[in-house]
Amino acid sequence: MRARLAFGLRGQHAVTEPSPVMSPSDGSRPGLMLLALLIAGVGAWMFTQTPSRGGTEPPPGAAPPPALPGFRSDAWLLPDEPLLGFVKIPEGPFLMGGTPATDPGAFDNERWSSTLSRGTVTLETYYLSRYEVTVAQFAAFVVDTGYEPAAETLAAPGDHPVSHVSWPDALAYADWLTGALAAAPNTPEPLRQRLAAGWRVMLPTEAQWEKAARGPDDRIYPWGDTADRARANFQGQTTVPVGSYACDDCPYGLADMGGNVWEWTRSPYQPYPFTGDDDVDTLGDDALWVMRGGSFTDPERNLRTGTRGGGDPGARRPFMGFRVVLATP
Amino acid sequence: MAAARKRRARGGRATAPAAPPRPASPPSPLRRLAIPISLGLALALISATDRVSDQLVLTRSVWAAAGALLAWCLVLALQARRDGRTLSLHVVLRPQHYVQAMLHISVLTYWGYHWRPVYDHAWLLVAQLLFAYAFDMLLAWSRRESYGLGFGPFPIIFSTNLFLWFRDDWFYLQFLMLAAGFMGKAFVRWERDGRRTHIFNPSAFSLGLFSVVLIATGTTSLTWGQEIASTLTLAPRIYLFLFAIGLVAMYAFSITLVAGTAAIVLFGASALYSAVTGVPYFIDSEIPSAVFLGLHLLVTDPSTSPRTPVGKAVFGLGYGLGVFLLYAVLGFLGVPTFYDKLLGVPLLNLSVRWIDRMVARLREGERLPLVDAPLAPAQTNLAFMTGWILFFGAMTLAGATDGRHRGDTLPFWEMTCGEGRAQACERLLQIQTNYCGDNAGWACNELGRYYAEGVVVTPDPDRARAAFAQACELRFQAGCLNLLRPDDWLSSDPRPIDYRLLLREAGPNLVDMPEPALLTRACAHGWRSACGDSTP
Repeated sequence: MRARLAFGLRGQHAVTEPSPVMSPSDGSRPGLMLLALLIAGVGAWMFTQTPSRGGTEPPPGAAPPPALPGFRSDAWLLPDEPLLGFVKIPEGPFLMGGTPATDPGAFDNERWSSTLSRGTVTLETYYLSRYEVTVAQFAAFVVDTGYEPAAETLAAPGDHPVSHVSWPDALAYADWLTGALAAAPNTPEPLRQRLAAGWRVMLPTEAQWEKAARGPDDRIYPWGDTADRARANFQGQTTVPVGSYACDDCPYGLADMGGNVWEWTRSPYQPYPFTGDDDVDTLGDDALWVMRGGSFTDPERNLRTGTRGGGDPGARRPFMGFRVVLATP
Repeated sequence: MAAARKRRARGGRATAPAAPPRPASPPSPLRRLAIPISLGLALALISATDRVSDQLVLTRSVWAAAGALLAWCLVLALQARRDGRTLSLHVVLRPQHYVQAMLHISVLTYWGYHWRPVYDHAWLLVAQLLFAYAFDMLLAWSRRESYGLGFGPFPIIFSTNLFLWFRDDWFYLQFLMLAAGFMGKAFVRWERDGRRTHIFNPSAFSLGLFSVVLIATGTTSLTWGQEIASTLTLAPRIYLFLFAIGLVAMYAFSITLVAGTAAIVLFGASALYSAVTGVPYFIDSEIPSAVFLGLHLLVTDPSTSPRTPVGKAVFGLGYGLGVFLLYAVLGFLGVPTFYDKLLGVPLLNLSVRWIDRMVARLREGERLPLVDAPLAPAQTNLAFMTGWILFFGAMTLAGATDGRHRGDTLPFWEMTCGEGRAQACERLLQIQTNYCGDNAGWACNELGRYYAEGVVVTPDPDRARAAFAQACELRFQAGCLNLLRPDDWLSSDPRPIDYRLLLREAGPNLVDMPEPALLTRACAHGWRSACGDSTP
């Protein structure tokens, strides 16, 4: 005898032979309905659990940055200055590296070569940001792009330097700012012209960083030749708002070139003499990238303008941040 | 018996139980309910274990499951008291339950020894067993049936968990998946061979159903499905192990033709594809280990598969072809391909009566001389098992089971992609994506190059940048430099730390392998630079 499906649905479809069928009182029909409801409910619930549902949204913890005194809320919380905080560093040569003869705190990795203790580097004009990139500025980037930072990256107050950023995080911010400034109608004209000419927002090379920190008079510390607890945030407990240590007498008026957070550069960590070339000869080695300036955790020696730190590009630490430069690639 | 009489009185035909119920003691509903109540309380107690209590959602899931069971007990007690109804119980000990359960346990034990999350899952397996027993019992009593107490829930729980389980934050869905399986067994039934019986293998039903939902909602990441499918090979000689386990099932339940035919079809189709295209079909195996497991322990439920030899062979053929086709279809749709072994089983269960009828017609027309072979069924099965053993031995000698597979080597896929072989570039992209996801910096950089250059895949600057960034964060220097370069992207050889991932051949990472041995292995995989470095 040919059997047939029951499913508790009596008298429907092609019933070709008499065959006992479950009656609804068997409980099959309500059971099937319950099963169907269960599956439909699970499906609907799981649909709401889809991680990517809803497109690009700010990650948890990223809120639209609040207005901050001294920063422009209509320009991604960049400083409220004519050039949005970019400070011109004129072209010209400077002496790079350190020597114990003139600076007892100099490290071995600051020596220029086996024969020279220091070297002369000539740089074209560039614009370095007056302050370290802040939490609020980085949050603006995160909100605009959906970029996923580490959980701690945006935890500090908005006017503190952003920390817990990897080297690629810093590069991503700089690339985004290039595009954002180029596209925004209220970008100051000098910046717009340079961007139109192919200049880009980047991480500074370590030469650009050191020249801006040393200044024309070749300082050991950004504010002079001796360590001073009143001039920078170091040997402390945490970051402080950018620009907390006024330094009008620092070269070019840049703030926090010593202390607060270490600052990523775009230079691979390799022995001097410095070249602006990519480090393509050591691709087999683990990558390390130069960071400068020391941090709130460091002793004064690491705040020297010549001190070179080597950072794991994937490291996200509370004492590592960055500032950006506008320059020709 | 009383329940059966009641059904007859209403005009329905009662299902004849396989073993006559042996109602035990007096009909006190509350006394019988002590069993599911105890199970529910035991389930709630499991929330006190470290494994469960460390996760809030998991704890709540267990509480909710236990609470639902206890509430159900209360409702049932009230109903039974009101109706003066007996909640009966009989003992049913079936080999297909306890033997299968032992086979499942041995697989979980061996696999878990090499992949720790399985052992970490042990308390949750216990929780599911408690839930399953209580749910099954209450469902039977709610349907006014006698509950057959035995090892039935064991193979359902174990075979479900051999293929899919939800992550802790969504573990409540695991309980719902099990509930769906038991409800399917209870409510989705038909008549077969004069008996009313369930259509679907309960675990395959719930796995298939939830697979469809997971695919449709794009929520595979809520489960451990992908990891489960790819970690069986962490256990050495897993094919040989599964083969040995399978022999027990084949001997005990005469399922040789189902499993054997499915395996032969898959081996054959895979070899044919490889011969035509020059690349393996399943990337790094002739049959994925999880599929090999499935064809032994998922599709072979005797209750929901054909009973004649020809029917079993057709069933196995259907499973083999189904997996083969589903793998391609799922890959084409961009869906995780591990669902290939799960989706076809319910459809095959549905085809069982059609297969039975087809075999019967062929037999009536005397077109199946082999069906009435002179050997007794047990002897016939042994003969089939002999054939299967010889076939598996041949496959093993040919390198088609355990051991290195040519698809394990990345240079092979780079070469075949360069030659424009079918699907080779897609596979290369998939493999690099997997290795990059496992934190091989070299693979991330290569992946970035693929997306940047647009040779292997359509250019995608955002993905390229993300892959370079990950390579860089893994301290792969070329990845960092590529973030700085607008074009002309750099590549370099894998580092030893990358080789420890790239050369694992679907096994564990080669964390402790000495560097010279690593380079020798790399050379054997086709990495020319490693050959140079390892040459004295």
